[in-house]
Amino acid sequence: MSNKGGTAVPLLAARDLVKAHGRTQALRGASVELHAGEILAVTGASGSGKSTLLHCLTGIVRPDAGSVSYGGERLDQLPEKRLSELRRTEFGVVFQFGQLIPELTALDNVALPLLLAGVRRQEAQATAGEWLERFGVRGQEELRPGEMSGGQAQRVALARALITGPKVVFADEPTGALDSLASEQVMTALVHTARESGTAVLLITHDAQVAAYADREVRLSDGALAPVGVTA
Amino acid sequence: MSSAAGISVDVRLAWRLTRGSDRREWWRVGLTVAGAALATGFAQAAVVLASLDGHYAIGVAHGLLDNPGERHGVVFSLLLLLVPVLGFLGQTARIGAVHRDRRLAGLRLAGATPWQVRRIAALETGLACLLGSMLAAAVAVPILLSYWAGPSALAWAGMVAVALGVPMLGTAVGALALRRVVASPLGWVRRVRPAQRPGRVLLVATLLFTALALVTLLTPFTANPLFGFALVPLTVFALVLLVGSAAVWLSGWSSSLLGRVLADRAHSAAGLIAAERLRDDPWSAARTHAAVLLVTVVGTGFVGVRQVMLADLRGMRSVGQLGMDMEFYTTGLDLTAAAITVGLVIVLSALAVGTAESLASRRQGLAAQAAAGVPRAVLGRALLLESALPLAPAVLVAGTGGMAIGVWYASITTEYTTHNVPYAALLVPLAVYMCCLLAAATSLPLLRRSVRPAELRYV
Amino acid sequence: MIRMSTRHILLGLLAAGPSHGYDLKRRHDERFPQARPLAYGQVYTTLQRLVRDGLAEIEGTDSDGGPERTTYRSTEDGARELAQWAGEIAPPAPFVTNEIFAKVVVSILSGGDPEAYLRAQRAAHMERMRELTAVKTAHGADLATVLSADYALNHLDADLRWMTTTAARLTTLTAEVDTA
Repeated sequence: MSNKGGTAVPLLAARDLVKAHGRTQALRGASVELHAGEILAVTGASGSGKSTLLHCLTGIVRPDAGSVSYGGERLDQLPEKRLSELRRTEFGVVFQFGQLIPELTALDNVALPLLLAGVRRQEAQATAGEWLERFGVRGQEELRPGEMSGGQAQRVALARALITGPKVVFADEPTGALDSLASEQVMTALVHTARESGTAVLLITHDAQVAAYADREVRLSDGALAPVGVTA
Repeated sequence: MSSAAGISVDVRLAWRLTRGSDRREWWRVGLTVAGAALATGFAQAAVVLASLDGHYAIGVAHGLLDNPGERHGVVFSLLLLLVPVLGFLGQTARIGAVHRDRRLAGLRLAGATPWQVRRIAALETGLACLLGSMLAAAVAVPILLSYWAGPSALAWAGMVAVALGVPMLGTAVGALALRRVVASPLGWVRRVRPAQRPGRVLLVATLLFTALALVTLLTPFTANPLFGFALVPLTVFALVLLVGSAAVWLSGWSSSLLGRVLADRAHSAAGLIAAERLRDDPWSAARTHAAVLLVTVVGTGFVGVRQVMLADLRGMRSVGQLGMDMEFYTTGLDLTAAAITVGLVIVLSALAVGTAESLASRRQGLAAQAAAGVPRAVLGRALLLESALPLAPAVLVAGTGGMAIGVWYASITTEYTTHNVPYAALLVPLAVYMCCLLAAATSLPLLRRSVRPAELRYV
Repeated sequence: MIRMSTRHILLGLLAAGPSHGYDLKRRHDERFPQARPLAYGQVYTTLQRLVRDGLAEIEGTDSDGGPERTTYRSTEDGARELAQWAGEIAPPAPFVTNEIFAKVVVSILSGGDPEAYLRAQRAAHMERMRELTAVKTAHGADLATVLSADYALNHLDADLRWMTTTAARLTTLTAEVDTA
């Protein structure tokens, strides 16, 4: 299913990441590889540096030391403009909540990445409609995020993250605010779509049941990563 | 619990909460102090001038304050300056409102009564206003003594009344503003609610101003030139207030209309976001925008009137009809110009503060959107468009209104000068519009800070 | 874990109508996908005991051209017994038989590496959870499969959470076990 530790060149690779927030050492030498089409779970207790790792991997923050390579480019050295472009075209990001623009309808929120890429509004909306249907939120096109349930909003967020056909989707506790049934619907939608389109997923979670949707798990503790599944 | 002990507990709590609050709450306190100081300064100057009766040789501004007629005009201008100052104070009260509401709801959860919470919050505002009024008084008293060796008891009483009245008013306004917030222990807002459209108060005010304007217009003041000179600004200001209150509606209504129309037609991401925000919450900036319009009307009207009046005065001088030095009149005009400029600056700060606060209350969402790939430039453009779109038609209407004042004044002032249209006034709306965009743009550095990943940690 | 009563499950399956042993086994395995499959011998002996206790009786035998098969049906006593059992509350976790905890304690007593054991156990649990998740997210999985997978997933998740808190408190536990 995936290239577990295989010889293939990883899609995204971080080496010895170090990052401090003030006096708090969030990452101390974290290394991780993500292969094309793979679903990888990063688990760890709260405060173990999971979110900081995601921020480093997406180029939202620059690590104090270490490297992040993606498709031959060093993300930790790229200018902000190129990073924004990568996040817009090659990456999709889903957070626990907040990434949808509260004033825009579900349809416009999903169409937004296409609009940013210069696609005409009608065309973007038509494509967005298809994606909403795919995630089972048809009929909610005209709702604003505040008018949707948490599970619906997260599926809209997933549609928005996947509409540009990204190579990697980063999901930071995507079901953190949901009950178990909504969480199951969101995760199933994510896993099915990612498998169909061959999108790699980096899934950050503290929940073992969510991590079980992944092909592989790495565990962060004290700012460093250890693979899970290798018998000690 | 005795009420004295209750108050002292409240004061101590208010102080402790203010001290433990974050940066933005200090901004609110600082700006409230500044606003209260301005209000006290203007009101004290007005009160002292109003306490004078008859002729005095004050020796400032080429004798403009020497005679009761002109003094009344100055007093009136000072009181009118209170309008933008109060608007500014209203705007500062909104800074960090979400945080404050959450904190007050926390107090309710811990067992505080609604009234106690309201008192604590109002005391915060009241204490800041007290500090502001004390600072203003500390400056005003030496200035007063330097011009007037023995001020009358009436002047002193007025000064004291203003210095104490401003903080009391601030406390009352603070309690009023919070009447809805603290009713429930779980009353903290997840999302900033859309602002309400203005209600009956504004309607009554508008009718009042209309009546005032009509009465003034129908008064035969041209018979006595000095009386006329004092009354013209009154007429102008009454008209201006009328236009201003209409502007609140115009601004809110045009925001919502523009939002609806543009949201369906927008082709850029920034345009779409701005249009949907206007449609969602058209009244949020209506009051600030109305103040902008007020200043635009006053400014445009004033520049027109000034041009005509100067031409008229020159005409009078050339035939030897001028009663006073030319400087007497120009100083009066310059002082009015200065007052309008002060008003403009206050309005622009209110606009900047409003934009910054709207940004700050949305910073978590903005950080998440930026992280999800919405470029900062798009968010910035949306922010500017949100101010620029509804202000454009509004400033246009205000400019037309101001221009009408100038043209009307030119049409009735034909005795010593030929009838000409004061075109220079047309530059005023343009300049105000540019200043507004600049004021809104002062929030862009804050946007850069708001979309930092550190904000994501609290998402 | 609560022990499943095979005799009541067979009675339940018979309630839908007369059936023979092999058919009962097949329907059981279909209906309870994540449970341990029934052995044919177990089905046979259980049916005999049900007949002995008057809860089921033999309907008849047919051969259908193949080997001879006995068809059973439920009696009125059987229906009463079944209704009583189905309405009875299952005792909530009556015995704490925690093999993982026992192994941790034994490991401490014998000077082993309980931390390494917990890590390995955690990995094994995760591996099983991934399998179960794959089963329930497979296209066309029916609700019975999803629900029984969920039941197992929730129990494994509970074990995992217990292991996480135990791993974090191993030092204190070691001191306690060693001094006792």
